[in-house]
Amino acid sequence: MGSLARAYGRPLAAVIVGIAVAWVLVLILVPLGAMVEQSLWWRESKGDVSLTIDRLYNDISLMELDRQSETDPAKKAILDQSVSEKQAEIATLEAQEKNPPKSYGIANFTRMSGLHFYIFVRTIFYALLVTALALVVCYPVAYVVALASGPRKAIILMVALIVPYAINELLRVYAWLMILDYRGVINGVLQWMGFINLDAREWIPFLENPSAVFLAMIYTYVLFMVFPMVNTLETLDRNQIEAARDLGASTLRIHRRVIIPHAKPGIAVGCIMTFMLSAGSYSVPAIMTRGQGGDWFSQLVYRQFYEANNWNMGSAYAVSLLVVCTAFILLMMRLFGVGLRDIAK
Amino acid sequence: MADTTPLRGKDVRLDKVSIRFGDSTAVQPTDLSIHAGEFFSILGPSGCGKTTLLRTISGFIEPTAGRVLIGGEDMAGKGPNERPTALIFQNLALFPLMSVAENVAFGLEARGMRKAERLKRAQELLELVALGGYGDKKPADLSGGQRQRVAIARALAVEPAVLLLDEPLSALDLKLRQHMRSELRAIQKRVGITFIYITHDQGEALAMSDRVAVMSRGKLEQVADADTLYADPATPFVATFVGEQNVLRGTVAGVADTRAVVDTSIGRLEGRVKGPLRVGEDALLLVRPERIALGGTDANTVAVRLAARSLEGASVHLQCAAAGQTLTVTVPNGPLVRELPDELTLSFGIDDALIYPVGALAHG
Repeated sequence: MGSLARAYGRPLAAVIVGIAVAWVLVLILVPLGAMVEQSLWWRESKGDVSLTIDRLYNDISLMELDRQSETDPAKKAILDQSVSEKQAEIATLEAQEKNPPKSYGIANFTRMSGLHFYIFVRTIFYALLVTALALVVCYPVAYVVALASGPRKAIILMVALIVPYAINELLRVYAWLMILDYRGVINGVLQWMGFINLDAREWIPFLENPSAVFLAMIYTYVLFMVFPMVNTLETLDRNQIEAARDLGASTLRIHRRVIIPHAKPGIAVGCIMTFMLSAGSYSVPAIMTRGQGGDWFSQLVYRQFYEANNWNMGSAYAVSLLVVCTAFILLMMRLFGVGLRDIAK
Repeated sequence: MADTTPLRGKDVRLDKVSIRFGDSTAVQPTDLSIHAGEFFSILGPSGCGKTTLLRTISGFIEPTAGRVLIGGEDMAGKGPNERPTALIFQNLALFPLMSVAENVAFGLEARGMRKAERLKRAQELLELVALGGYGDKKPADLSGGQRQRVAIARALAVEPAVLLLDEPLSALDLKLRQHMRSELRAIQKRVGITFIYITHDQGEALAMSDRVAVMSRGKLEQVADADTLYADPATPFVATFVGEQNVLRGTVAGVADTRAVVDTSIGRLEGRVKGPLRVGEDALLLVRPERIALGGTDANTVAVRLAARSLEGASVHLQCAAAGQTLTVTVPNGPLVRELPDELTLSFGIDDALIYPVGALAHG
């Protein structure tokens, strides 16, 4: 603060610090804090309270019916009394239903069902798989783009990479849906070539396989893998490649010993971004599987919020995913031996 | 100094090699023979094709026509990793993420040598270049001269028969550059292999080399030892590129055997014939500043006016004007040059003046 004030003057320094604080608050602390707080409590809602209330209302209606047809004043008084008793009971129960007691703890995290935990693990595994596949697909592309000689060639390659990303992500996913659907482009072509008969339902069910989701996901997130790698590969001195070749190294060894070590920070950033995006992606699995393939964890989180209406549980699920993703980032950084400083470059 | 098994240098022969990139010719058909174990320099201004020629020898560029022979063997179709050459890049291209020892051992690693063995060999080579204790450091931790020596050790590790150097000293400061010249020369003597050294710095080429090829516009102008290049340049380009020259334009007034007479704006001057001359045609007369003497005892005398003098330490440069021409004279520093009159007489011998048919000069 002191040095900022000296460099920019007091008012500007105050503005800069204010923006930084607002950034941390609005973008990090408040949303994350709200999510974590939400995940750490729940309301003890007994499922039978509403039922009991319904029953009590039923009883009251019956009693009032009885009371109308009753002529004996003594019995009438007894009925009146039990009606008021039941109304009092309803009032307490309704109060309880409206504002169930709040308890704090980590139960939201431990209460995950076996099936949900399985989906959680599988989602992490799938996301890792998508990341690995994207890396394999993108490394050669990034290499070619980064080392393309001549400005025109590089521009063409860059444009070819960017143009698909000018289209909305949902549209691109739907495009893949059309390609892979039962009566989609591929099955259509196969029918046209005479291999299958769609009217006899002989289509290949691409969408029932998780690889359809992988495909769409890799396509969707390829750019996040390619760009960081291109950026680091572009800074590689080509003389190093030639020097390695001159010293007798095979292409494989040049990549393993010279190019990949240089590209490590880019690879790490690409992997982290792709993993985070695919582990948290909702639209791609939701659209591609249409409920016919297995769910991804993001879909469970969505359902906890908007179908089960259990925001606490949903928050706990979301926080679990966040923790695992963060652990993955740290692991990747350790694995690639890159620090935050390298990645920031 | 570690004892290193002496390597065997090989001769390099270019047989009508020419290199074209699209429409432009980088190297015109060239014949060149470099002896085994020789320190050979290719000297030329930037863009003259010398680096292209070097990359052709190392195998990064295939010649458009002609053959490259190393040790008598045709190198056609052989990649840089299959040739008995090692290249030292202008920016050295050390691997920044590997240690110095790993850098030196990289070529051996590529040849499948076991780790302990190759690191031992790397250590020997580092001792050869006086960097014995630096194996664990990263290249970035070394000074410019040390990095230079690492690059040499790395190239020598693969036991090349020919070491190719692409202006590796150009990034160093003047002092270090001069030191590295003698160092390079000493290393070459010690390992005994052929060095082919590319440079645009005539001082480097003249100081280190057994022989020098001067190159201009994709063509070899002259191949000779340093003394011959300086004293007896074959073309006006070589004459003006290597060392300083006074260039006088004139018309041939007479040719007799090895001598000719040229009419210039400062008078009729006589010199040695260095090309086909015919009476009445334009010609260039070149004379070096240090071959011109104060006073009028030599065959060619010129009356001039002293325009400027600049002290260079051991010598003094005099700028002299005569009939629109400027003549530079270098004389040893001494009490005489301190009180020179404005009007001077200069003279130079017939053998000190070289007369060429009009041709390209190195500086405009």
